[in-house]
Amino acid sequence: MAATPEIPNSDKNGERRAREPDEAQVVVETRALSKVYRDFWGRQKVRALKSLDLEIHKGEIFGLLGPNGSGKTTTIKLLLGLLFPSEGEAIVLGQNATEVSKNERIGYLPEESYLYRFLNAEETLDFYGRLFNIPADVRRERIDRLIKLVKLDAARRRQLREYSKGMTRRIGLAQALINEPDLILLDEPTSGLDPIGTREMKDWILELRDQGKTIVMCSHLLADVQDVCDRIAILHQGELKELGRVDELLKVEDVTQVKARGLSADCQDEIRQVIERHQGELVSMENPTTTLEELFLSIVRDSEARPGRRIVKQEPTKQGKS
Amino acid sequence: MILEKPLLPYFEWLLQFDKTRWGALPHFLLTLLVIAIATLLLSLLVGTVLYGPLKAGDKVYRVVVNGFRELFSLSFRRVWALARLAIQESLRGRVLIAVAVFVLLLLFAGWFLKTEREPARLYFSFVLTATSFLGLFVALLLAVFSLPNDFKSKTIYTVLTKPVRAGEVVIGRILGFSLVGTVLLAIMGVCSYLFVVRALDHTHTVVGSVLAKGGDAEGNLPETTSLDKGHRHTIQQDDDGHLFAEFAHDHDHHVGESNGRLVVSSPHETIRARVPRGGTLRFKDRQGVQVARGVSVGKEWGYRSFIEGGTQAAAIWTFDGIDEKTLHDEDDGGEALRLELVVRVFRTWKADINTPVQGVIQLKRPGSDLKTAPEFFSAKDATIDQRYFPRTLTDTNNQPIDLLDDLVDEQGQIEVVVQCLDRSQYFGFAQGDCYVRMKEGSPLWNFTKAYISMWVQMVLVIAIAVTGSTVLSGPIAMMFTVSFILLGFYREFFVRVARGIQEGGGPVESLVRLVTQMNLTAGFRGESETTSLWIMRSVDSVFLGAMELLANVLPDFGEFNATKYVAYGFDIPANQIAQQLTMGAAYVIGLSIVGYFLLRTREVAK
Repeated sequence: MAATPEIPNSDKNGERRAREPDEAQVVVETRALSKVYRDFWGRQKVRALKSLDLEIHKGEIFGLLGPNGSGKTTTIKLLLGLLFPSEGEAIVLGQNATEVSKNERIGYLPEESYLYRFLNAEETLDFYGRLFNIPADVRRERIDRLIKLVKLDAARRRQLREYSKGMTRRIGLAQALINEPDLILLDEPTSGLDPIGTREMKDWILELRDQGKTIVMCSHLLADVQDVCDRIAILHQGELKELGRVDELLKVEDVTQVKARGLSADCQDEIRQVIERHQGELVSMENPTTTLEELFLSIVRDSEARPGRRIVKQEPTKQGKS
Repeated sequence: MILEKPLLPYFEWLLQFDKTRWGALPHFLLTLLVIAIATLLLSLLVGTVLYGPLKAGDKVYRVVVNGFRELFSLSFRRVWALARLAIQESLRGRVLIAVAVFVLLLLFAGWFLKTEREPARLYFSFVLTATSFLGLFVALLLAVFSLPNDFKSKTIYTVLTKPVRAGEVVIGRILGFSLVGTVLLAIMGVCSYLFVVRALDHTHTVVGSVLAKGGDAEGNLPETTSLDKGHRHTIQQDDDGHLFAEFAHDHDHHVGESNGRLVVSSPHETIRARVPRGGTLRFKDRQGVQVARGVSVGKEWGYRSFIEGGTQAAAIWTFDGIDEKTLHDEDDGGEALRLELVVRVFRTWKADINTPVQGVIQLKRPGSDLKTAPEFFSAKDATIDQRYFPRTLTDTNNQPIDLLDDLVDEQGQIEVVVQCLDRSQYFGFAQGDCYVRMKEGSPLWNFTKAYISMWVQMVLVIAIAVTGSTVLSGPIAMMFTVSFILLGFYREFFVRVARGIQEGGGPVESLVRLVTQMNLTAGFRGESETTSLWIMRSVDSVFLGAMELLANVLPDFGEFNATKYVAYGFDIPANQIAQQLTMGAAYVIGLSIVGYFLLRTREVAK
């Protein structure tokens, strides 16, 4: 497995579009979107979503965040038209979410890859490809490229029933990209993936955003959301609690962080005195640790470079990335 | 085989639209309309209760408008993609095991299918019934669990989030499973046909000391063949000196010579496709006066009307469209009109039970007294008697007459008069008991037609199963389809109950009779209108109304069973196949529409 996941540019014209989201172009809009689950007799069971108002712009990665049962998946299903709203409406790509024709430009990776287990990877992509108006030669070429992209080249003729969880996720992603969609909805994209798979998935998501596609993902894995999302909405018990840009939401306005290398103890003392002189409060001064994810990845990278050697201890500061 | 109710000509069947009868097409359109209006009203009602009238109206309006728009955006490409999926699903689901089971069945069938008489009938009934049920069973299992499985495994999420219309999911499934079923039926059909042909093929050896063709020194000929397959033939010599094994057991053989020895050939015409042309039957009573029906000899025999022997009573059939094409070329170079006659004999005194009752049959020109010389026959009770009338005949005055020129009138009609000769014995006839045999149809094509019928039946089951499974879970959809099939097989009885013709009353009344062990025909005690009787009858009338409505959309599955035609060696009318194909198409269209709305209005996710 390659240590640094690098995906071939899947856009045929190869041109990288503007990285900044286009504020003017609204791709997804919900107005007072609500969902009440009812039982057979029409009695109310759960209010899964309460009057959600959202606007998602072209070219951004939008994260729906929240604990289990907070209405993330319900929102995604409403956007796809798999559920019908009890109140309000969802407009996706300029059409009502219950319209079928909007699906031409949508890609969807469900929570677990719900695919036909009796098909192999090629047949799966072929089947989903045939549901779109794609010429046969383009379809074949695209299937080949996607299989290579998600690194299932070796397993392309194995039935999906033999696939591991990670492989199923990959073929699920490939299936969602078969029509080169403008809007991609990902339900827990990293669930069930190992750290390498998670990193690859996140890189693919960023790559897709760089191609100008809009991505809506939902997750309860905070790290994932933090790493890739431009904007997030935090849901709890069906209600919108927070909405905004990730960097702004996470920015701690009254704390300044200084990072330096090679400071002596005297120098550190001096800095403390400077802070004191300016009536500041020193919160902490220590050697930083890397994240576990970084550590694990660096170990794997290292062991692939020098196979056979058992790594006892890794210098924590060596590979540190801000 | 002459049907009790003759088939209507195709276009009359399809299009007729007047007071007496509504053709299939008007019936279909009306049914669709009624279902549409009823569904609309019901959904408005339910919607009003749940969301209030305005919102309900808006929702229903959207579904309907959407439905029409999506009807025109159906794409064959997507339907085919989904059909391919269904095919792949079936093949990977080991559907071919069904074929293996069938072939195994055929391999060992020969062991237990033994008969002394008419083996073709037994073999054909066996293979056709086996394929029919196996085919239905496989089609049912394939079609009924496919969509529910998709819902259960949620694969339907990834399909319906592609630009797939709900209708395409339904039609694609029906198409895919029908194709699998078609291949299955084709394989089973070829195996069956080969099985029957091989099973019927046999020869005999010539028995006796005389084995050379010319007979022995004294010119004696061998008398019989050996006993094979439970029968033997008498060997005869025809006018040209050729030997043949006489007709027995539904076939005959040639006897040829090879290397100076007599050799019996394969049997002739073991598989037939007789094309009968039925006529209209009327009766004359003992004084020779025209009557609508003959004598009744009791309820058990009510199907046939009887004529008394030794009187002027007669059964007279009138046949239409008799011309040169009707006549068969006979071996002796002439032409002949072939009639087949079934006589039911009712004896009022036993007499000598081994002596058959005698009858007489004549051809007569309608509207004139010109008749052929009486031809006498001994009635073989309830078996088909073949009678050949050559082109040149003699009339009652022994003058030569021509069958076509003299006996057939300007309208192309001819009459067949049958009388019983023995005093106080009776012959019984129904309209289908006498028919003119037209030119033989192709047995292979006839067999294929039986399979087409079966195929239509299978497609129907698939369509019902797929439509049912859009909203029902697997086992429930299965029960739904099976009840549909069962009701379809007993449609006639069902309709009789619904219309109140069947004795025993509606569902509640029959339940009461069942529990109280009451006779079907007995009246309730007192028969005065007590409250309980009134309640029972009212509830029943609601049930019966619902049953009558259901009967309108219930296919008659029994009609698709062409086994009796093939088994008894009759040609299946092409018209009947055309009507069945049309009916099948109508059901597929109707059920697809229903399936579309069911799937479209269902919330796919949970």
